Amino acid sequence: MSPLPAPPTRTAPALPAGWVPHRIRGRLVTVDEPLRLGAGGRPAAEAVRFLRECQSHDLVVRWLPATDDPLFTGPAHEVAGTAGLLRHLPAPGPLPGEPAELTTWRERHAYGQLYHRRGPDFVTVMDRREPSAAARFTIDDPDLLAAFRTVQDPTAVAALDAVGREAVDLLAAERLARVTDGWAVALPPRIRRWPVPCTDI
Amino acid sequence: MRIHLVTMPWQPIELPSLQVGLLHALLDRTRPDDEVREFHGSLRWAEFLLERSKGALRPGDHVAVGSESIFDGLGDWVFSGVLYNDPEWGVAQLKEYAARRGTDISTATAMRVHAAEFIEESADAILDEAPDVVGFTTTFMQNVSSLALAAELKRRRPGLTVVFGGSNCDGPMGHALHRNHRFVDHVVRGEGEYALPALLTHIDAGTAPADVPGLCWWDGQESRANEESRRTVAPADIPSPDYDLWQQAVDASPVAEYVHPKLVVEGARGCWWGEKHHCTFCGLNGSAMTFRAKPGNRLWDEVDRLVRRHRILDIVTVDNIIDMAYFKDFLPLAAESRWDLRMHYEVKSNLTAEQLELLARAGSVHIQPGIESLSNRALDLMDKGVSGSRNIRTLRECENHSLTCSWNYLYGFPGETDQDYASVIDQMPALVHLQPPGGAHRIQLERFSPNFANPALGFPQRRPAEMYRHVYDLPEDQLADLVYLFDTPPAGIGGGTEARLKAAARDWYTGHPASTLVLEQPTGDETLLVHDRRHGWPRRTHRLTGWHAAALRHLEAGRTRSALHRLLTADGDPPTGAELDAWLRETVALGLLFDDGRSYVSLPTWHVPVRSVERAQAPDGTAGGASGTPDNGEKAAG
Repeated sequence: MSPLPAPPTRTAPALPAGWVPHRIRGRLVTVDEPLRLGAGGRPAAEAVRFLRECQSHDLVVRWLPATDDPLFTGPAHEVAGTAGLLRHLPAPGPLPGEPAELTTWRERHAYGQLYHRRGPDFVTVMDRREPSAAARFTIDDPDLLAAFRTVQDPTAVAALDAVGREAVDLLAAERLARVTDGWAVALPPRIRRWPVPCTDI
Repeated sequence: MRIHLVTMPWQPIELPSLQVGLLHALLDRTRPDDEVREFHGSLRWAEFLLERSKGALRPGDHVAVGSESIFDGLGDWVFSGVLYNDPEWGVAQLKEYAARRGTDISTATAMRVHAAEFIEESADAILDEAPDVVGFTTTFMQNVSSLALAAELKRRRPGLTVVFGGSNCDGPMGHALHRNHRFVDHVVRGEGEYALPALLTHIDAGTAPADVPGLCWWDGQESRANEESRRTVAPADIPSPDYDLWQQAVDASPVAEYVHPKLVVEGARGCWWGEKHHCTFCGLNGSAMTFRAKPGNRLWDEVDRLVRRHRILDIVTVDNIIDMAYFKDFLPLAAESRWDLRMHYEVKSNLTAEQLELLARAGSVHIQPGIESLSNRALDLMDKGVSGSRNIRTLRECENHSLTCSWNYLYGFPGETDQDYASVIDQMPALVHLQPPGGAHRIQLERFSPNFANPALGFPQRRPAEMYRHVYDLPEDQLADLVYLFDTPPAGIGGGTEARLKAAARDWYTGHPASTLVLEQPTGDETLLVHDRRHGWPRRTHRLTGWHAAALRHLEAGRTRSALHRLLTADGDPPTGAELDAWLRETVALGLLFDDGRSYVSLPTWHVPVRSVERAQAPDGTAGGASGTPDNGEKAAG
């Protein structure tokens, strides 16, 4: 048999382990348990990180919200706030009786709505979650940059020093980090795969 | 001496002017006692339009006129009324031209009413800083805005020295620009790194610059053009650009929120392919085809410095072709940085899959491979040095490595026939999962191209492109020296074949976002699955086994029928010649192979890039729309 060229491979992504039970087949990730993004605290932060990393690797995620989670049962404005903040992440699958805001999330989600890029001593962020208010950020202040790097992993705010807490507050104010029940996590996925055409995001 | 470097509309507003950046750095080095300032006129024009139109004329309109109307000359026309001191100059000509061609001139017309005031304000701004010399760089449609401002500057301050340079000043164009515009004191023809400092030395000394190669200057009322030098600028003498003042201008600009600034870098000048085989239609290298490149590590040092200084990760390279040595130095350095760069590079279309993978890993995710055509005959006629199947390989590997590939389908080459296009057009529906051309366009005659230099190649009749009649108030013999584009009687295909080609390119473009054709090889199995989800084709999965599967894999590299048969024979259990012929016919008909008349190449990809059309997730959680979905067969490794 004459040698055939090896097919071009894509490295299997390393997804955060432990908090979100899941199965992965090719580019499809199936989350085995309903997620509680609305409940806050560490479990919600870990779930956000998981979805963020899936998005960063351009994986398709099947997940459902817990039907007793505030994301499902909460007041409309709170659900809308959370769904709007997380619109760049893979949307939940449909459930009977779901809030309209979750349907909107599914309909409006698109690749590259929010992402970050790493440079030598700075990070840039593109935020197009609200198309009419698209924003670019360059994070190069050392304290802010350190905080952004720290909250790539869910982090207890109480474990941060005063400078770190102030930086996380700033990130949250710009909707680049989510802080709930004392736990913070960064929201923009790192862009690991550019779309085609790459100039569209 | 105080020197003002000026870049006028229609310099792209998201990019710094490389020429201004280079010359600023050069003057800082060679003339440290001078004071160098910059006027980013194109950016100012965008600001001016935004303000004066109360937000109606936005940066997107600037792009529409400045970059997309280049073959209609609308950007130049916007300023021609100012240059000729007559608001109505060229209006009737353009209206007649636009009506005949169906060209939309509404945006350009809306802009033109602001042009005179803008030129006045620009002159105020520059003269307020009391320059001794004002240098304009002009490329494509920067001529008329630059001339209009230069005329106004000289009218107000006759003692000012005005210098022009840039691509529009190369060769006879520079002399024509000089002798037809008395207010332009000097024109630097060709590269400026040696000529500009030499000219400034003469200006300092008040001596005639008769020894500056290529320079145009006034000897009394006579325009003199010094003989051009054959000496090109050595890479070591090409500076690293200084974009500090551009950054200041962008940061202070209300236009900033509309644009995504990028850095411009230069690794090489000239074209190594063109030195051996000049593509017959291409005039982009002007009179300096000699290929010269900075060492890759030096180019990386420049990128490193600029990225750190400006905090920008988007990079446009201006090289007309990548130096192949960069695959051993520059690109690995970029990849090792692990920065999330997004670079644009022009490359040749014969890169290997490994080279394309390296480009992607280095962040050079946007390439322009000069594909131009998929017809062997047309590619031979343009002396492109690649085949149709090779171009298909490149398009296919761009899918595998998520590379954005910009290209246009060119036609109109003397000697081509309808027959050269028939098979390609018939097969275009099978290519719909690959990145489509931006369109199918007839080539235009460009100065400096072989088609221009040698009328025997098929364009003996030529005249300055019609658009210049609403741009310049000059006789045709002067335009013939001044301009870059020429009209000719159409060559090559026309009529029905031209219409079919354009329609097929449009259909390809339209059908692409929803189309995939993906290979899958189940683990531990020699069976190949090809999941066909192309627009216009039945949704199905082809299962290939035995020599059929091996043949499809062998043809990923593109092979002739006989080469394929030899490989299958070496594999053992080969098909007969008749069986192979039948399979090739059938597989081409299924749209799984492309046949360029000499060789066959496989069309399925192993991966599907994210398509940038909005990718909504389907209700069942799978990806809907255009992007690869789990059921399209694409598998992540591991």
